[in-house]
Amino acid sequence: MEAGTLLNLISILISSILMAGFYASMACGLALIFGVMGVINLAHAGLITLAAYLTFQVSESSGVDPFLLIFLIMPLFFFLGMILQKSMVKRVAPAEKGPTASLLLLFGVWLILQNIAYWAWGGDPRSILRPYSFYSFQIGAVKVPFIRTIVFASGIASLLCLHQFLKRTFIGKAIRAVSQNRQACALVGINVEKTSSLAFGIGIAFCGLAGVFVSVLYAFTPDFGREILLKSFAIVILGGLQSFQGAILGGLALATVESWSIYFIEASYQPAIAFALLVVALILMPTGFMGIIEKRRRK
Amino acid sequence: MRPTRWELLSFILGFGGLALLPLGFGGHSYVFTIGFSALLYVALSLSWNILGGFGGQLSFGFAAFYGLGAYSTAFLVKAGWPLFPSYLIGGLIASVFSVLIGYPCFRLRGPYFLIATIGVAEAVRVIALNWESVSGGAMGISLPMIGTASRLPDYYSALFLAAVVLIVSYLIRESKFGLSLFAVKMDLDAAESLGVNSISKKILAHLVAAFFVGIAGGLYAKYALFIEPETVFGFHVSITMVLMPVVGGMGTLLGPVLGAVFFSIVQEELLVIFPTVHLLLYGLLLMVVVLFEPKGFVGLLQRAKIIRPQPFQ
Repeated sequence: MEAGTLLNLISILISSILMAGFYASMACGLALIFGVMGVINLAHAGLITLAAYLTFQVSESSGVDPFLLIFLIMPLFFFLGMILQKSMVKRVAPAEKGPTASLLLLFGVWLILQNIAYWAWGGDPRSILRPYSFYSFQIGAVKVPFIRTIVFASGIASLLCLHQFLKRTFIGKAIRAVSQNRQACALVGINVEKTSSLAFGIGIAFCGLAGVFVSVLYAFTPDFGREILLKSFAIVILGGLQSFQGAILGGLALATVESWSIYFIEASYQPAIAFALLVVALILMPTGFMGIIEKRRRK
Repeated sequence: MRPTRWELLSFILGFGGLALLPLGFGGHSYVFTIGFSALLYVALSLSWNILGGFGGQLSFGFAAFYGLGAYSTAFLVKAGWPLFPSYLIGGLIASVFSVLIGYPCFRLRGPYFLIATIGVAEAVRVIALNWESVSGGAMGISLPMIGTASRLPDYYSALFLAAVVLIVSYLIRESKFGLSLFAVKMDLDAAESLGVNSISKKILAHLVAAFFVGIAGGLYAKYALFIEPETVFGFHVSITMVLMPVVGGMGTLLGPVLGAVFFSIVQEELLVIFPTVHLLLYGLLLMVVVLFEPKGFVGLLQRAKIIRPQPFQ
């Protein structure tokens, strides 16, 4: 193999790993909420786009670095999620009202958010340019874009925090328990309602995080949401719908396929790749990577 | 259950009146323009309702069938085919495609089908936009003018299609097939344990719905004489098809019709004045319906004791 090809391989590998960090933090909110409440959050992408616009607005008008805004946006979206859950989503719980009510409701929320984005910021693509936007550094002979590295690092750091939170704290354990068996949790005295709304808030907070990342990585429009939603779905289904580690594996799979596909498929067909992966995953491994791993473990 | 006297009477009066409408208005083309789109919406809304309302399987991707029907009809008409076979083939292509999507997705429980439908519609749209040698890309394709410039034939085709879909919906609702769809919607496990093959029922309902949506797409192509990916494959087409039956009342026959009529009025009257609010309006409608009156307009009518509640909604 020539040196040039090898170099290409390595840089593709690095870029897909960097992307995977972003993808995992984008999709984990969806997986968390589905795991705990059995609700597919169709407003997921709308909230991400909203967070991206908020980041854009605040950082343009005040000059604050978008990455610092994570500490503003995440708590804000946490409370937004709690409010959303307590005021509406709670009333359409799939266990009582069947699966369609919550889907339609959250879809309605998405449409409203999309309209708000059109009103407030118009349909033109927006993006945040910082002095370091196009900066990249060398590791050996491979060029690594700076901004993607920061996104990767902060995404992975937040995911690790979430992981530790779910593993070590009482509330975290309660969240995991509720996602395993709601009724048993109620029997042993866990406040299922409170746990659910906390989990929903955390899921939405991660939408906020993903929104900040979107605002620095892409030029986005109010319509950008559909692509995000599709990618997030592909990731969680590749990983296994309820599993949190699965989101990381799914993110890695999507990022890898996307970066490799540049060699085979025209760039304009890129949005169809997430879908192709989704269908392949649905047909070949409906339980996702985590399901396959579980099976191996049981043998 | 045979149709009650009232149902039969209102069906005959409604469609008879619409069929005679041209006599009253002569050559007023505006009436037929509105009438055409309202009747097309009725057909689309009722078709979505066969799978979504009777079977409880929400699809957010019916634009794929609409667009496939429109494009197939356009190609065939351009190749010199007569209209009616082109419509039928458009519908058939859409229904074959529906089986291709439905087979992998319906085998799984849970929200997989809904997720996949968003993906399918999006992928088809992207392909139609980029595969320029076939679809003409974003430039779209134009159809040759067939017959006269009058809107009258279009109006009657839409009326005919709406009537057929309504009758088919009625027949499905009264059949064993319809009952098994209701059973699948209410409790999949119970239905399966009583011997309902839920997968094949869902696939069949999807197929029937896709067939009619494909034909409706063909009618639109012939009516508009120009189609491009965004107008027939766009996400808003799918949203429209979800909204009408949901707002009107899913799982009933009257609901989707009311929803479609309401929707075409909103589209023609309100959105002309306020063009930037349509997503907000649709979103609010969805939320209000889900939170306060899950049966939509039909639920309101039942509360007001104008119509009686039906079994199996």
